[in-house]
Formats: sequence, C-alpha cells, structure tokens
Amino acid sequence: MSAPLFHREPRGPLSESAPVVLSGGPLRCEALLAIAHGAPVVADPAALSALRGWDGAVLQQKRQWLVGAHADQLHSDALPAAFILGHCAGVGDPLPREVVRAAMAARANVLLHGVSGVRPAAVEVLLAMLNAGVHPVVPSQGSVGAAGDLAPMAHIARVAAGLNGVVEGIPAFRPTQKEALALINGVSLTAALAALAVVRAERVLDAALEATAMTFEALRAEPGCIDARALQLRGHPGVAQVGARLAGRLSGSLLVAAGRPADAFSLRCAPQVLGAAADAIASARAVVEAELGGVSDNPLCFWGEGPTPEVVEAGNFHGASLGLCMDHLKVALTQLATISERRTFRLTYGQLSSDLPSFLVAGTGLNSGFMLAQYTAASLASECKGLAHPASVDSIPTVQHHEDHVSMGPIAARGALEVVECVADIVGIEALLAAQALDLRLSGAGEAPHGPLAPGVEALRARVRAVVRYWEDDGVLHPELSAVGRLVRAGALGIEAPAPGAPATLPW
Amino acid sequence: MSTHHPDPLRSPPSGPNGAPLWVDGELLSFAGLVEVARGGRAVALHPEARVRMQRSAAWVSEAGRGLRTVYGVTTGFGSLARVNIPPEHRALLSLNLVRSHAAGVGAPLPVPVVRAMMLLRANALAKGASGCRPLLVETLLAMLNAGLTPVVPAQGSCGSSGDLAPLAHLGLVLAEGSGGGRAVLCGVEMDALEAMQRAGVDKVRLEAKDGLAITNGAQLTTAIAALACWDADLLIQAAEVAAAMSVDALRGCTRAFHPAVHAQRPYPGAVTTAANLRRLLQGSSLVDSVPGKVQDAYSLRCTPQVLGACRDSVAFATAQVRVELNAATDNPLILMDAGPMDEGFGDDPDNRAYSAGMFHGEPVGMAMDTLKIGVAEVASLSERRLYRLTTGLLSQRLPPGLARADQPHLGLMLPQTTAAALVSENKALGWPASMDSIPTCEDQEDHVAMSTTAARRAARVLENSRRVVAIELLGAAHALAFRREEEPGARLGQGTGAMLAQIEALPGALEVGGAPADAIGLIDAMLLRDGWRSALPPLQPVGAIDAQPTGGHR
Repeated sequence: MSAPLFHREPRGPLSESAPVVLSGGPLRCEALLAIAHGAPVVADPAALSALRGWDGAVLQQKRQWLVGAHADQLHSDALPAAFILGHCAGVGDPLPREVVRAAMAARANVLLHGVSGVRPAAVEVLLAMLNAGVHPVVPSQGSVGAAGDLAPMAHIARVAAGLNGVVEGIPAFRPTQKEALALINGVSLTAALAALAVVRAERVLDAALEATAMTFEALRAEPGCIDARALQLRGHPGVAQVGARLAGRLSGSLLVAAGRPADAFSLRCAPQVLGAAADAIASARAVVEAELGGVSDNPLCFWGEGPTPEVVEAGNFHGASLGLCMDHLKVALTQLATISERRTFRLTYGQLSSDLPSFLVAGTGLNSGFMLAQYTAASLASECKGLAHPASVDSIPTVQHHEDHVSMGPIAARGALEVVECVADIVGIEALLAAQALDLRLSGAGEAPHGPLAPGVEALRARVRAVVRYWEDDGVLHPELSAVGRLVRAGALGIEAPAPGAPATLPW
Repeated sequence: MSTHHPDPLRSPPSGPNGAPLWVDGELLSFAGLVEVARGGRAVALHPEARVRMQRSAAWVSEAGRGLRTVYGVTTGFGSLARVNIPPEHRALLSLNLVRSHAAGVGAPLPVPVVRAMMLLRANALAKGASGCRPLLVETLLAMLNAGLTPVVPAQGSCGSSGDLAPLAHLGLVLAEGSGGGRAVLCGVEMDALEAMQRAGVDKVRLEAKDGLAITNGAQLTTAIAALACWDADLLIQAAEVAAAMSVDALRGCTRAFHPAVHAQRPYPGAVTTAANLRRLLQGSSLVDSVPGKVQDAYSLRCTPQVLGACRDSVAFATAQVRVELNAATDNPLILMDAGPMDEGFGDDPDNRAYSAGMFHGEPVGMAMDTLKIGVAEVASLSERRLYRLTTGLLSQRLPPGLARADQPHLGLMLPQTTAAALVSENKALGWPASMDSIPTCEDQEDHVAMSTTAARRAARVLENSRRVVAIELLGAAHALAFRREEEPGARLGQGTGAMLAQIEALPGALEVGGAPADAIGLIDAMLLRDGWRSALPPLQPVGAIDAQPTGGHR
C-alpha cells in the first residue's frame, strides 16, 4: 500500500508551551489536551530510569492470538514484529492528529508505572515521536476496547518499532516480546478520546450555563427556580451549583422579576437538568482521570528483590469503565441539547417569548429572521438522541471464544465526541438568539422594562456581539452559526477574563 | 410517456461524458442519478418539460399580480403565512428565504451527494408542478455540467419542510445578490460568486416563489438515499458471494438452499438469495462433503432467511426512493390540469395552487431507517461466518485464525475483531432517526421527518457493512486457498472460484504476515469499483433497482 504510515508535521500551536511531565502517576485531562495540541512531553527521570525490561516469552502465552507459529518459533526475533503487524487491522477515516498524540501520551504514562516490563526505550520512542511531530496514521475504527485498543495502538507501535524502516529523528527501537505487547495491550486510545470528550463537555456545559442565563433575562424568567434555599434542598451538588451560577449572572436584573407566573420547564427546571448533566460530567472526569493515572496493561510485572518479576495475568486492559462513563456522558450531553433547543424554540415563538417578535426580527413576514436557527438546533438535538444510544450495552465474542466479552468503549467515546460537537452548535444557537432577544428588549421591544440588563448578562451579550451583528433584517445565517459555534468551542463565551498570560481562547 | 424521448444512446454526445441525461421530472432512474452524481454525466432540460414549467410559472406570475393569496408568493413562510407580502417585496422575499435559511452546520457533504441533490431538485422542478421558471433549472444543470457544486454543510436539516438549510446553501450560490455561499469548482473551493464567474454560469435574479422552488423538498435526504439504495444492492450481492465462499470453505450443506424449501415460505428476498447461492456454489466438490453432517450453524444455513430479509428491506426502501426520484415536492404545487376535487367538497377551479405537504421527508426517512437495519444485519451475519472461519473449533479443521504454520503471524485473528467493532458500531447507529420529531416554526411545523439524519446514518452503516463483507471475503479467500492445498483435486463453486481468482489477482491481498489493514483496504477498494461482478455468474439484484446502467432512461 502506498498510503503513508505517519505524517511528520510542524508542531502544534502550543509547542512553545512548557513541557508536560509524565511520571506514571496521576494525569489530568488538561495535561493530555495540552499534549494533544502540540505541547512537548518529557518523562520524569526517576520514573524513566526505574523501568525494568522483562524478556519473558510472553507471546508464547498468547497462543490464541499468535496462531501461526510453531512452538520452535516462539522465541524468534521476528515474533514481536509479526505480533504488531498482525494487529494492524484498523479501518475507516484516520483519527485526528490530536487524538493520536493523546493516545501516545496516555500509553507512555501507563508504561511509566514500571509494571509493564518494558525498558526506558519503549517510553523514549513514544516521547521522541511526540516531540518531533511524528504522528502515525491511525484508522478510527476496528477496536472493541478489550484486550485494549489493539488495532489502533498497533498502528502506532508499527511506526514506533520502525517496522517499515527507521523514522528519521526517532531512536531505533526493537521491541522485545513484552514490549510489543505492552505498546498495544490497553485502552489508551479510548482514554485519549474520553479525556478530550470530558474537557469539551465541560466547556459546552459552561457555555450552556451562560446561554441559559441570557435566555432567562431575555424571556423574563421568574427567579424562584434559582432560589438557593430550594435548590439546596434537592441534595444534588450540580443542581445547587447551576442555580448559584445563574443567580450570579442575573444579579441586579430588572427583567427577571419575582412574582411572575412560574415558567415552562426548559427555564424553571434548568438547574435540575443542567445540574444533572454537570454531575454526570464531573463523574466522567473522575473515571477518566483514574484511567489516565492507572495501568491498563497485561500481564503485569511486579518486581521484588530477585532478577525476575512476579508476573500476574489479569484483565486490566478491559475498557468497561470508560465505555460506561462515555455512554453516560453522551446521555448527559444530550440532555443539554434537548433543553437548550426548547429554550431556543421559545425565543423564536412570538406567543411564548414575553412579547418579542416572532423569529426575533421586527419585520417578520418579509423576513424569516432566526426561524431556521431553531430548525438546526432541533435537527442537531435529534441527532444527539440517535448518537446517545449506548455502545457499551453490546458485546460480540472475538478471538476464538477467548475474548468473549468486550467493552465497545472506543465506540462510546467516539460517539461522545460526536455528540459534543452537536451540542456546541446547539448552545451557540441559543446564545446567538438570546443576544438578539436581549438587543430587542434594549431597543424597546416586548414588555417593559427594557433595560438595562443585569451586568453579568450584559457582559455575555457583549461577548456574542463581538463576533456577530444584530439583525435588523434577514442575513445569511450560516456564518453567524459558525461564529457562535467557535465562541463556544474556544471557551470564550464565559465572562471571566483569562488569567494573565493565558491564551484568550482555548484549544478544542 | 417516453415517446418524446430520443433514444439516448443515439443522441449526439455532449462532451467527454457521453450523451446528456434528459431531465424531465418523469424518468430519472437510479442508474441515471449515479452516472450524473458520481460519473459526471452531462444533463439537459427536456424541451417538453420546459413547456410544462413555463405554463405553471406563468400562472404564478399572474397570481402574484392579483388579489389571490398564494402561500410563499403573497405570504411569508411557515407560521408567517399569516403575513401578507406586497407585490414589490416578493422577489426580496425569495432572496431573504435563501439567505436566512442557509443554516447548516458541520462538515461539508461529499461532492457526489451534492450533485445528486442538485439533479433531484432540478428534476422535481422539471415536473412543471412548481410554478418555477425554466431558467432556474437550466442554471442548476449548467452548474452540474460545469462541475460546480455548492459547499453544503451536512447537519441542520429536519427533512421537513424539506431539506431547507442544505438547499438554501445551494440557493446562496445560485441567487444573485445573496451575499454569501461557497462553492467547489473542479475540486477547488472558492467564493460562490467567483466560482460562478469562472464556470461561466450566470447567477439568477430570484423572482416570486423562486426561493421556495430552490429549497422546498427533501432532496438532500433523497440524494443520500438514492446512492444508498444503489450501494446496498451491490453490498447484498457481495455479501452473497462472501457467504457462498464461506459455505464452500466450511464444507457446508446446500440442501438448505433448495428451491423447493424456499417455495414453502416464499419471501422474495430469501428465494433470490437461495438462487444466487446455488448459482455461486454450482460445481463445488467441497460442499456436502462431510459425512453425517446434515445441517450447519445459522450463519451459514439461515443465510437465505437473513440476507433475504435484508434484500426485502432494501427493496422496500428502494421502491420508496424510486417514487421520490420523480416526485414534485414543493409547496404549494401548481397543478394546471388537476381536475375537480372529490364530490362533496368545495373547490375553487381557478386556483391552481394547492397547499399541501409534499416536502415532508417521512417516506424517505422511514425507508432509510429500514434500509439501515437491513444493511446492518448483512454485516452482523457476515461477522459470525468470519468468526467461524477463524475459530479452530468451528471451521472444519481450518487452521486457527486462518494462519499458516510456516512463519509466526497472527493470521486473520484481528480482522475478526475489527469486523465485530464495525458490527457493534452499526447497532449504535441503528437507532431510527425518523421515529423522532421536534416541533419547529412556532408549532406550525409540529411534526418533522428527521429523514436527513436517517439517510446520513444509513450511509455510514453501509460503509461499515461493506468493510465487514470485505473482511469476510478476505477470510473466505484464505480459507478456500487452504482447501485447495489440503485437497488438490477439489473443485470450487463456479462463482466462489471466480471471486477467489479476482482476490488472488489483487497484488498483496493474500500475502502472509503483512498488515491486515492493507489487505482489507485492497478488497474494500475492489468492492467500490463496480467491476467485480462481471467475472461472476449473473446475480439477481435487489428488486426495483436498475440492474445495469444503460446510459438512458428506464
């Protein structure tokens, strides 16, 4: 095949940033995100030098895989290469560069625990590839997430082991049997996908809270639903947090006034629904960071005083935890999608929007205003429902009955990344329409009073107005949707100023 | 009906792509659509369609000057039908529609899909029931002939009232003064205005109803759906070949495919699959060669029942889409010769505008959800046969993993895992999109189709399933090669042997010890090139789809 096995690319936008240190210990999603976007990586010297290789004929025990070999070939030098190459069975579009980098870093961190029986060279080659911008082409499909992400990780290992020739600038690395196994025998791709999904989900949740505050103001919500006393009583931490966040943004509002009739659920129950999503996302982060800081490999080498380790065969490669939590994350994000779409519906609906004009432009009829923005939100919300179908409920026996229950975790995680893209656009649409509604209120449309806006909401309106204009008449909608979509993805809708020296927008 | 069509094979060629396909709103076939969408065949508006279009367009033009209320001509759109639009604003109404409805998000659609969407929209308008000027269709066709396609984001349509947002992105490119849009001209993306100028196609100054004419129908859904039906037909035939090869390699029992058996439960798909299996396996000395074995596991024995049901699902979907290929889908319809309404209803015989719901994507969306399930099951069954081929206990003494014992390698152990992953992914994609609906447009459009999502998902399931079948073909080819070595005098079936020869002819496909991804890619690419069937005994296609493109109307 003439298709390239790797791309050598210039370093990403963060390549000037401080290196991320991998130690085989706890690893935050943010650190993995930084590596994904080009940050250099170094191994903790102590952890690296403590690595001990074990030259056991481990592949001999993997007869269910290594089916083609006679017993007398099981110590052959060709064995590790054949093992890696035989696992290169991925199909489909290549994974994005960011995901490949994150998977390589996640694998390096697993190996740095010192229980995989690999020499320092196994880690060094991965880090050298990361730091030189050598990114293997990894097909996105074909892993069932148990015994690890075998096929995709093998496409990485193939380049690391120089099976198709040594890569310029990367140290030559000839894996032992155990190293060949250790490079692929864990769910490091799923962990990478999941870490990106968690960071993106948190960012979209953040934007969803801001958009909700804007809609509260624009639709003149009744504020009883964010009463801290009421929300504390429910007991779920996310509910109280969401209520407090909304109350903070709406502090000083003239439009949100007590004593109005209770609102529809998409407003009134926003703390409960967004709060449930917040709790789910928080729990997903905990699972993913446990995974990033843990050892997804098999067999494990426990070194004592002697020259050889105690070798334990277990099932630490199975991706069930990640699969389950990514499915949960998809469902939580879909809740954000469906409730945001309903608020967008209300914003465009003349009779439900406290006297704002239909579709949020004055001259509707000749103009359709933001009619179609709500269609787009509805379409995306519906797409989320389909994508939210859990992957981890499935399992198909593989490898001659030996791997008879698998996780489908990578499918769940890729699905979560798809859902989060849809939700980012849905939330962007709500923010766009809420900004238009707020401007209409400021210009005297709808019921009095007409302003000023709560300072927190005014700041949000200004953030949206920095990228899209107010519509007097119909314009071309697509560029506006793209602009607010970028705003959400860059974490730029929230009103906190970035820390000094930090970039104004975050990598997605 | 077809008398006005000159024989397309005798028409003068119109450049490198051969004779143009006449667009007339009546006779568009799957084959014709595929030739235009993927093959770049030229298109032309049929003169008789032009006359029909002019007649209804004249009525709209007249109605626009009178006092009559015509939706979308003298009124706003959706729930804004309550607003009257004065005559001097009706052209602007069309332009505003295109601008404000261009609300797509996400990655751009592939060029062949956009070409199919443009052709379908042109064909719907050519029916002459839309009150649309021929100029609009001629411009669409000129864009197609120039290799110019709008950049259309894949997401954002509910499929009702039509694929508004995706078609509005087409409108941005086509309409003078739209102030937006991007287009791809012969592979290069650029600003819409520049693309139209470089292609030598004049933008259209929109008039009353033109905006609706461009946007009001589920043509993106149908574009994806029509290509999916075409591909599903080929996939099912490939799956039958793979199944036959596996049956051959696993020394299966063929009585399960006896015509008398299937006459007792005569589902058309099962009868056809059984017949194709018999044809492919004819002459094999491997089948029915295990003494005492009277029946096989389900993944072999029930292939006619399962693949047959898949055939019937795809045939249903194909029949639905076939209707849509030549349907007028906008609103209102302008029917010049409608005749009277049923007795007992009031009617206004002078009003040629019929407000209805022809744009609704439900028939195509539901068809795509049905197709999707059928196509997912093709892969599900295929993966189980592959599992048997690679599992020593189940394979009639084929080597585990189909691996040769002369060097260390993994054989096809991992490709089976890959197939399992794809099958599982299909299950998650199988959720029926058309079952969902979210009210839009101030509750005026209170039930929508989500047909575009259904069709996009179906296309993904198809791609996954095609790769699973490619992996089974790879496994079965290795298995048959083993059988030939094991039993040098063995004869393969006439079709299974021919397919094995084709796979053996792909350089590197059966190489031992390489990366399986490379071999899978070679066979997948072979399935994408529609030439692999020519070496096989003729297989029956799925009902209602054109078997062979003939270059003309069917």
